[in-house]
Amino acid sequence: MSEFTIFNVSASGMTAQRLRLDVIASNIANSETTRTERGGPYRRRVPIFAEHLLDKSRTSAVKVVRIEEDPSPFRLVYDPSHPDADENGYVSYPNVNVLREMVDLINAQRSYEANVSAFNVTKSMINSALQIGRG
Amino acid sequence: MIDGISGVGPSNVQKLQQDKTLRKAPDFAEILKEAFDKVNQVQKNAEQMASDFALGKISNIHEVIIEAEKATIALRLTTEVRNRIVEAYREIMRMQL
Repeated sequence: MSEFTIFNVSASGMTAQRLRLDVIASNIANSETTRTERGGPYRRRVPIFAEHLLDKSRTSAVKVVRIEEDPSPFRLVYDPSHPDADENGYVSYPNVNVLREMVDLINAQRSYEANVSAFNVTKSMINSALQIGRG
Repeated sequence: MIDGISGVGPSNVQKLQQDKTLRKAPDFAEILKEAFDKVNQVQKNAEQMASDFALGKISNIHEVIIEAEKATIALRLTTEVRNRIVEAYREIMRMQL
């Protein structure tokens, strides 16, 4: 329904931020994971957002095209007692910086709130339009 | 009828002009019925979303809330239009002949 396009745009923004939050939560949870199904430590994941043009309108929503892995190198920590240490005694920890993830977390939260605000403004504009001629 | 709420861009103006020249004005009852059907559909969507959420099919709460908001706004819009038109009708009926 075309009259609700703007709501769908806001909804897509919220969905994208929710997914980003999921990815960040996964990164934080796995910030010390040294074993994965594919072998090696966990790699930091990053969601990729893309513009999603909506039919018959000039507005565009957002969609998550895929979740990619951060190619940056792993964190090496010297700990020969660790079972996953290599022959030199170094353990590869995931390339997740928890501090950075926390910043991203707040970013995602604020973006979500911004989308909610956009939604609320749209709604209050429609409600004001319904009040035309009532005063 | 509900389409009136989307911004008054050039496309809408064009549509209005087209409507004027090409099509004869449809029956009021028809318009109202169409609008009610639309509102009904939106309400059904919202209901479906709510039950899907309860069943655990949807993990995004905002989708349910937004669908419910759409339903509320559509209903308000339709009742508002109905009220205005019924008022106009009453005005005509009160006319002294």
